[in-house]
Amino acid sequence: MSGTFSSINTALSAIRYNQVALDLASNNIANANTDGYVRRRLVAGSVGGPTTPAMWSKYDGHGDGVRVVASQRMVDVLLDGRVRREHGTLSYLQTTQTVLKRLDDAIAEPSDNGVAAALQEFRSSWHDLANNPGGDAARQQVLGRAATLVQAIHSQLSNVTGEEADQRVHMLSLVSDVSSAAGDLAALNQTILSSKANGNDVADLEDQRDQLALRLSELAGAVTTVRPDGMYDVTVGGQSLVSGNTASSLTIASGITATGDSDGTPLTLAVTGPSGTTPVTGLGGEVGAVSDLLTTVLPGYRAGLDAVAKDLADTVNAQHAAGYDASGAAGGDFFSYDPADPAASLAVAITDTSKIAAASVAGTVDGNNADALSQTGNVESAYQRLVNSFGVEVSTLNSRTTNQQALAGSVDESREQQAGVNLDEETVNLMTAQRAYQAAARVMSTIDEVLDTLINRTGLVGR
Amino acid sequence: MTIGRVTQRMLAQNSLGSVQSGLGRLAKVQEQLTTGRVLNRPSDSPTATTAAMRIRSERAAQEQYARNAQDGLGWLTQIDSTLGSVTDTVRRAREVGLQGNNTGSVGQVARDALATEVDGLRADLVSQANSTYLDRPVFGGITSGSKAYDDAGNFVGVVGNVNRRVGDGVVVKVDVDGNTVFGDGATSVFAELDGLSAALRSGNTTAIGASLDALAARLDTVTSARTAVGATQNRVERAAQSATDAKAALDGDLSNVENADLAATTVELQLAEVSYQASLAATSRVLQPSLVDFLR
Repeated sequence: MSGTFSSINTALSAIRYNQVALDLASNNIANANTDGYVRRRLVAGSVGGPTTPAMWSKYDGHGDGVRVVASQRMVDVLLDGRVRREHGTLSYLQTTQTVLKRLDDAIAEPSDNGVAAALQEFRSSWHDLANNPGGDAARQQVLGRAATLVQAIHSQLSNVTGEEADQRVHMLSLVSDVSSAAGDLAALNQTILSSKANGNDVADLEDQRDQLALRLSELAGAVTTVRPDGMYDVTVGGQSLVSGNTASSLTIASGITATGDSDGTPLTLAVTGPSGTTPVTGLGGEVGAVSDLLTTVLPGYRAGLDAVAKDLADTVNAQHAAGYDASGAAGGDFFSYDPADPAASLAVAITDTSKIAAASVAGTVDGNNADALSQTGNVESAYQRLVNSFGVEVSTLNSRTTNQQALAGSVDESREQQAGVNLDEETVNLMTAQRAYQAAARVMSTIDEVLDTLINRTGLVGR
Repeated sequence: MTIGRVTQRMLAQNSLGSVQSGLGRLAKVQEQLTTGRVLNRPSDSPTATTAAMRIRSERAAQEQYARNAQDGLGWLTQIDSTLGSVTDTVRRAREVGLQGNNTGSVGQVARDALATEVDGLRADLVSQANSTYLDRPVFGGITSGSKAYDDAGNFVGVVGNVNRRVGDGVVVKVDVDGNTVFGDGATSVFAELDGLSAALRSGNTTAIGASLDALAARLDTVTSARTAVGATQNRVERAAQSATDAKAALDGDLSNVENADLAATTVELQLAEVSYQASLAATSRVLQPSLVDFLR
């Protein structure tokens, strides 16, 4: 037989439980649009009799109410890992795409103003000179068109070098972002561990930590693993960045100076931690994208332009040297360049129109060397190949990004299914808790009335 | 795809995503319509970009060939008309010689007068041999001087080819070596006229006859040179025509590759617009209601 007041306690436990349920639902609703918020679910447990049988007494109650077992944070660790991975790949692709798109627009082919058009006009000017080898106007036109061509190559090159300079500065800020995120994550690891031990609710801290882990994946393609004690370990490129409560920092080992200039060596990265500095490669995310751009993609295009400039200068110079200028002297170099840096240093070596070697017979107004110059080399096709391979790269990247976006979107959706707040659901929870609260209050007043009957209305016989 | 839970945020994000992609499609079609081009950057279609660049460079080449051919025709026309005058002059000289050869009816005084006319014709011929096109003597080869023959009738030009490139690998010589038409020094038409003039003055009919024979042969030489020029002129004209035709065809090809098909793009714009509006309408409906609206 349970005590008289135990039913009041049962009702009280229900009121308390439903109070918590109301709090939780309202917190979920409040955070319905908070980034990184994972919905909580209240787990109830009924309070029953003692689990261990006693020798001299037995439990004769019918349940002693309800209690809060846990406030569950609805995460799926595997899904979170998947989200991080796909977002790391997506941010790699998007970063690369953004940069290459700018370059793609700047190349501006096919058009009437690009390098290809300048090459055609340069060739035409040799034809015109061949038609009129004695005319100063035709000679002036050759020099003018050559200058235009050099300028077109320079402006395309400066787009690439400008992009490289931008990305070096970008890299500096990325590296410090990674390091500070790693530091924050390690600190959170420690806070969560000790708060949990103290029995505090750490759900909000865990939300923050998950967001940091995602940010690290987007920044550097970091891989996060969960330790048995609940702390997160993070690695980048196979090197440990966060281990429990100790964080290392990502640093630039070579390639970029502190002011964002190139130091002439290839870009390399390293992880600097308590145990020293270890070189690291194969990063993903934004850092990986910028590093690939700086070490392969942009220098590759620059090398292509260099080859075009060198080919142009060499073939034109060779044919030019075979002819004779207006004074009958053999032709000198038409273009000048520094072999170490052909595209940037390409310039027209001739300023005097009479130095153009149009004639193939000395001391005449022959135009056959100018004609040969109009036919020499095949720079166009080298340039077309360069533009084509760049275009293929960008268009492949575009479709890969679109695919990856769809993939990341679907993974995000799965995560949202699990962790997102559904307002209808929370409204239902709210109503359920409200009704249960009302019923528990009703139980209380019922018991109260019962007791009232028992205390005030009994034993009145004969009064 | 199985949907377990659906949350409001999911709906909002999906709606935003599809509205964005609809707008993106719209922007792409709009770019094509406003620029009138489907190729605005290499990545729009790398293959078509390469094709367009090749067509552009081929078109520039054909345009240049047509220009070169026009320039060549200028030379050839000038040479043709000059050779026409040369023929007339030589023929006239021969007629004069024939008159002078008729010793029965023509006296020495008349022959002297004829010799003077021959001298005049010779001077004409020298100036014809030095005729120029754009300040260059057309019979002087590649000389940098302004004359092909000096007054004594010696060739002072430099033998060489004045060529015009009128097609892919087609180079045409558009000048005529003065040597082959007028000869040089003692074997030149000028020496022949000098001989005729001297023979007329001396009344030596044998010498006059020899000069007449030489002039007849010279007339043949000039005529055949003129025929050759005519043939070349014909050839260059055809080359100019074919370069112009090729350029027109390449213009069409380029337009096919680079330019937007207006009708198709407009239809595409319409479709993109419809789908964009549909996604907007769906978004406004989906994001409106929640259970709260139905609770009192």
